[in-house]
Amino acid sequence: MAIDVSKIIHAVMEGSKIRESKGIIPLFGVYLSLFSVYYYNRLSFDFEIKMGPQREAEAKALLIEAAQECGYATFHGIRDSWEWEQVVTPMVESKEDQILGFVAVAVAFGWGDLAIVGLDPGEKLVMHASDSYEARGYLEQYGLATSEKCYMLRGVAAAFMDLVYGADYPDGCFTFAAQEPRCRAKGDSYCEFVARRSSG
Amino acid sequence: MTIFDWQNELNRDGHRVVISGQPIAMHCHHYNINLQKTLEETLGTEGVDLLYRSAEETNFNSLQHLFNRYKKITTLKSKLEMASLLYQNCGLGIIHFRKVRPNSAEIVSTSSHHVTGWLAKHGRRATPGCHFTRGWIAGALEVIYNRPPGFYSVEERQCKMKRDEACVFRVKER
Repeated sequence: MAIDVSKIIHAVMEGSKIRESKGIIPLFGVYLSLFSVYYYNRLSFDFEIKMGPQREAEAKALLIEAAQECGYATFHGIRDSWEWEQVVTPMVESKEDQILGFVAVAVAFGWGDLAIVGLDPGEKLVMHASDSYEARGYLEQYGLATSEKCYMLRGVAAAFMDLVYGADYPDGCFTFAAQEPRCRAKGDSYCEFVARRSSG
Repeated sequence: MTIFDWQNELNRDGHRVVISGQPIAMHCHHYNINLQKTLEETLGTEGVDLLYRSAEETNFNSLQHLFNRYKKITTLKSKLEMASLLYQNCGLGIIHFRKVRPNSAEIVSTSSHHVTGWLAKHGRRATPGCHFTRGWIAGALEVIYNRPPGFYSVEERQCKMKRDEACVFRVKER
């Protein structure tokens, strides 16, 4: 695999320091914002609390779905961008390299120390993080969880597979679905995301 | 010349991205707007309140941290300038503090991440939709006037998501 993660991180960091006159950051084909992880964690976890125990599953599903849909549109925009063409495309030797490129961008965005540990082309993706902002934030704000908490990364893991192995954009979203069998928020030593083809 | 050295405040701490040492995440309009829509549609006014309160408390803590770090920023004018600069440099847009007093204020935003994102994804709205910015403004003024979170209420009188010319916010004590 020829993806140079540090090169992608450098490009994102440099690009994120450039603003147009309206205070908007157009980078990698999307409008970027920089804001505290506390905000995102509070939104997700308080949303879950406000939905109550009876609607807990619905809350999780909505957060994962929002993230997967976003990840699908976001990384489609990123893959189509001028910056991707300049920085990442020269390093892409296979279809699977695109996923490594996506992961490098996600690391650059500050989402966690993500790493691909298994990829069965077209079928299954296994991604690990020993420090995601969602798991860390949950532990810091609410203590040990009884279930997995990285809803954003779970949706995004499936979106990576949707973009590479699903139907052409915009028809491939939700081709894959991801689970998080291990999560630091519930005491595991790392978070694990496993994306497979959706059964439905 | 600004005392706030923005370029050096945005850094990496290992795999984390930090502003003045505080962890941040880069997210795009797709995620921010999807979260807003999910909360509004699922919880209604309670969801709107969650968006507002989360932005308010987060910005209160972030700005308090920055003011503690930049101790030379002491006047109202310089604090408002720093808040505007933070908003702009975080890619959130342009914000102009006008008629700012301890018990009331008017703020105008001519451009914002959330407006641009909402219009790109969903087009015109029937109601004002800058809940994030309302909360952000409340948190900023509460730090600047040394008030606790929740002290001010911020109403959006005009909104570019409704195709008004600018977003206009009125601040008053609760």
